[in-house]
Amino acid sequence: MNSVTQVAENQELVSAPFFLRGEVLHGTDVIQTSRDLGVTFATPRIPFDRAVPPRTEVPPLLNVPLAEIIDFLVETGQRLIAPDNDHMQECIERMCRTHILPRAVVENTARHAAAYLDKRVLMAEVEQNFPDPRALDEWVPKQDFTGRRSFVRAFAPRLIHVLPGNSPGVAVKSVAQGSMVKGVNLFKMSSADPFTMVAILRTMADIDAKHPIVRSMSAVYWRGGDDATERVLYRPQYFDKIVAWGGGDAINNVIKYLGPGFQLVSFDPKTSISMIGREGLVDEATVDRVADLCSTDVMTLNQEACVASRFQFVEGSEEEVDRFCERLHHHIARRAAESGDVRPLDRDMREAVDTMTLMDDEYGVWGRTDGKGLVIRSEEPVDFHPINKTANVVRVDSLDEAVKWINVATQTVGFYPFDRMADYRDRLAAGGAQRVVHLGEAGPSTIGNPHDAMYPLHRFVHWMAHEDGKPD
Amino acid sequence: MGEAVDRLMALVADPQRFSFSAAELRATQVAALDERFQERKDRIKLLALRARDAGIEKIGSVADMVPLLFPHTAYKSYPESFLMEERWDRLTKWLGTISPYPIEGLDLEDVEGIDDWIERLAALGYFISCSSGTTGKSAMLIASQKDMDWSKIDTVNVFAWGSGVVPAQDRVIVGCAPVATVPKNATIAQAQYEAFADPTAPRWHYPVPPITVGSLTAMVVMRKKIADGTARPDEIAAFEDTSAARAKAVADAIPATAQFIIENRHRKLQLSGLWSGLWQVAKAVRDAGYGRADFDPDNSIYVGGGLKRAQLPDDYQEYVFDTFNIPEDRHFQNYSMQELNSGMPKCREGGRYHVPPWIVPVLLDKSGDALVEGALDHTSGEMEGRAAFFDLSLDGRWGGVITGDRISLDHGPCKCGNHGPSIRDNIVRYADLEGDDKIGCAGTVDAYVRGVA
Repeated sequence: MNSVTQVAENQELVSAPFFLRGEVLHGTDVIQTSRDLGVTFATPRIPFDRAVPPRTEVPPLLNVPLAEIIDFLVETGQRLIAPDNDHMQECIERMCRTHILPRAVVENTARHAAAYLDKRVLMAEVEQNFPDPRALDEWVPKQDFTGRRSFVRAFAPRLIHVLPGNSPGVAVKSVAQGSMVKGVNLFKMSSADPFTMVAILRTMADIDAKHPIVRSMSAVYWRGGDDATERVLYRPQYFDKIVAWGGGDAINNVIKYLGPGFQLVSFDPKTSISMIGREGLVDEATVDRVADLCSTDVMTLNQEACVASRFQFVEGSEEEVDRFCERLHHHIARRAAESGDVRPLDRDMREAVDTMTLMDDEYGVWGRTDGKGLVIRSEEPVDFHPINKTANVVRVDSLDEAVKWINVATQTVGFYPFDRMADYRDRLAAGGAQRVVHLGEAGPSTIGNPHDAMYPLHRFVHWMAHEDGKPD
Repeated sequence: MGEAVDRLMALVADPQRFSFSAAELRATQVAALDERFQERKDRIKLLALRARDAGIEKIGSVADMVPLLFPHTAYKSYPESFLMEERWDRLTKWLGTISPYPIEGLDLEDVEGIDDWIERLAALGYFISCSSGTTGKSAMLIASQKDMDWSKIDTVNVFAWGSGVVPAQDRVIVGCAPVATVPKNATIAQAQYEAFADPTAPRWHYPVPPITVGSLTAMVVMRKKIADGTARPDEIAAFEDTSAARAKAVADAIPATAQFIIENRHRKLQLSGLWSGLWQVAKAVRDAGYGRADFDPDNSIYVGGGLKRAQLPDDYQEYVFDTFNIPEDRHFQNYSMQELNSGMPKCREGGRYHVPPWIVPVLLDKSGDALVEGALDHTSGEMEGRAAFFDLSLDGRWGGVITGDRISLDHGPCKCGNHGPSIRDNIVRYADLEGDDKIGCAGTVDAYVRGVA
C-alpha cells in the first residue's frame, strides 16, 4: 500500500529477526508496521516447516529432568541482566523505538522480568500447579480403590503462544512456563515488541545452542489476524493449544480456528479497580497516604498493565471524595513526571474528558488531557477505558454499591481498609473478579498463585494415561 | 453572519463556483474562518475550551484553525448512561455544550424515549441527526433551520452539477437502501423529490420500518447492558428476535424494490442508495430476466457513501450501471458526511470530487493533531493526509470537522477545467487501513460481548 512504502523510504528500517529452534533467521522480506507508533520494521518470511516440527518427533525436552530445565532457566536469567549481553542491549535499544513507554520504564521492566527466573520462584510455580510435579518427569504410577493400575504423565504439549505487546515480563514467563511443561513452543510476537522474545532465545542459544530448551523454541512475527499465516499454523495437527493474551480482533480471529484438538487457553483482557472505604478518608494525612497507595496501583507500568487500577470506588460524600481526588491527582502527576512519560491522551478520550470538564455539575476533573495525569470523579464509571495515567474515581455511599460494577473482566481489586476485604471477597468472586489485594499492592502476588482464575501450567500439559490393567 | 462568509455562500448556485483556485479563495476563506470563530467562540462552550487551551484569539491563517477543529467523536462524547437512564435533562445539557444557540423552552415532562425527545427538539428548531453507527455510539449532530434550508438547496445543486441531470420533475426516484429517519436525510430526500421526481408517477417507499435514532441507540444500549451484566437472558432473546425481524425486513426489501423497478422500467428512473443495496437490487433485477435493454438510456443514479465494509465482487459498479442502462456521464457520486452540511460532487471529466468555495479543506497528518507536512505551502499537485473540513455554511453547530478519511487533495486544476481544490476518487477510512494487531493483557469487558450488530 502506498503509505506503507512511503514510510519505509523515509525511515531507517528496524530489522526484527526470527528464531527457529536454535537458529537465527535474518531477513527483510516483509515490511511491518507497529500500530502504536506507526514505526516500520522488517522481518523475514516465515519458513513454516522449520517453525513446526512434525508430531512424529518426540518433544526434545521430554526426558530432560525438570531440575536441569530450571537450572538452565536460572542461568538464562543471569545472562539476561548481564551488561555484556548484546542481544538484550540491542533489544532494549530497538524496543524503545517501537514501544509506547519511555526508555526508563522499558529498561526497568526488562530487568524486573528476569527476576522471575529464580529457582525458588520456578519451583513454587510448578508445585502450586501440579499436585505431584513428578508427573512432568516420569510416568507416575497410580492405583484406584478397585486395584486397577496405571501410569499418568503430564506430557509435553505443543503450544503456540500469542504474546501481548505491553509487557516483556510475559515473554520471560512464557519461555519459562513453556520450558517447564517441556513443550514444543512457537511464539507469535506482537508488533509492539517483536524483539524481546528473540533476544531471550538468543541469550539461551549463547549458553548452549544445542540444549533441548533451545531446540524447543521458535519465535516469529506475523500481523495478527493474517489469514494466510494463521490458516497454515492454527491446526490440531501441529499444535494442541493456543495460549493467547488479550482480546479484540486478535482473539476473535483465533476463535474461528478452534475445534476438537486445538484449544484456547486465554489470558483474557482485564480491567483492575480499587475499592476504598470511608476509613481512608478520616483525616488529611490518611487521605494523602491512601491516595498515594492508590496511585501506585493506577500507575503500574504507567497504567499499561492489566493489574493497573482504572476505576476507584470511594465511599464518602462528594466533598470527602473530592479531597481524595485532589491528592490522587497529585500523586499520579508526580509519578507520571518521574517516569518521563508525556504521551498525550488519545483523541476519543480527550473529547469525552472535555465534555466532562464542561459538565462540571456532574463531574469533577483534576488535571487536563495533556497526559500528565488526570482524575475524573463521577457517580458511575465513565464510558471510556481509563488509560495513560487516568483515574476514574466513582463516588459511592457504600462499597456495597461498587459490587455491581464487578464483572468477568475484573481482574485485581485493590482494597482499603484491609480488614474489610474478607467481607467482600465472596461477592467479588461471584461477580467474576480474580484477585483482591491490599491497596497499593496490585503488582506483587504470592508466588505460584493462580492467574486469570486458573493454574495455567496444569492446563498447558497433555494429560496422558497408560492403563496397566488389574492384577489377577 | 460575516461579510466574507456571505460572499462565499452567495456562490451556492453559481455555475462557476468550482473554478476559483485555492489561492484566489484563500484570503476570503481565512477572513470567513475568523468571522465564524469570533461569532461562535463565546457561544459554543466546547469551542471556547479549545480556544482557551490553544491560546487562540484570532484566525489569521488556516493553521490557526487546526486546534479548533472538532473530531467527529466530539458529537458522541455524551455519557452513555444518559441514554440508558433516559436522563433527558443531562443529554439536553450536553447538547448545549456543542450548540451555538442556547436550548431553551424544551419541555422534559414525560419524554417517551429518545425519538420523542428529538421530536420535541425539532419542534423548537433544533434538528438532531444521528450517525448510523450500529454497535458503537451514535454521533448526535445538532443543526438549525438555516442548515436544513441550505441542505435543501445544496443537495439539488450538487446532484445537478455532478450528474448533468436537469431538475425537470420527470423521474421516478427509487431508493435502494434503508435510510435513517433523521431530519437531514428527510430534508434532502424531499428536496430531491421536489426537484427531480415526476409528481404524477407512483412514489416509492422503501419497505422497511423506519430506522429512527431510537432504534439505532437501542442497540448501543443493549450492548452496554450486556457488558455491564445487567441484561437478563430473556431480554437478550427478545432483542435477538427483533434483530432477526429487522434483518428479514431488510432482506425482503430487495426483491420488492426490484419488482417496483421492473414495473416502472418504461419510465425515466433515478436510483439512489449505497453500493451494497444497489448491487443487490441490480442482481435481483437481472435474476428476474431484465437488464440494460429494458431501461431508459437517460436513467440516473445517486450513490452515497463508500462500501461501508460490504463485500462485493470487483465489478460491482459496472454491474449496477449496466443493469439499469445508466450512461457513462451519469455516474454521479458525492463526497460528504453527516458532519458536514454541503456536498462535494464528482466531476464527470476528471473523476474528482470538487470542494466548493464555502468549504475549506484542511489536510492533517494521520493522527489529526497537526497539519500534514507541507500543507501550508501546498499550491499544486496532490497531497495525501487526513481530511478535515471547515464548512462555513454550518449555522447550528461548529463548522470545523476532522474526518476519519484519508484523501488525496490537489490544489491544481482538474481535467474538467475547474481550478478549485479537488479530491481524488480513492478515499479510504483510516480505520479500514489497519487491522487490530494490538493486544495486551489490559482490556475491557467489551471484548466479552458477542453479537448485537
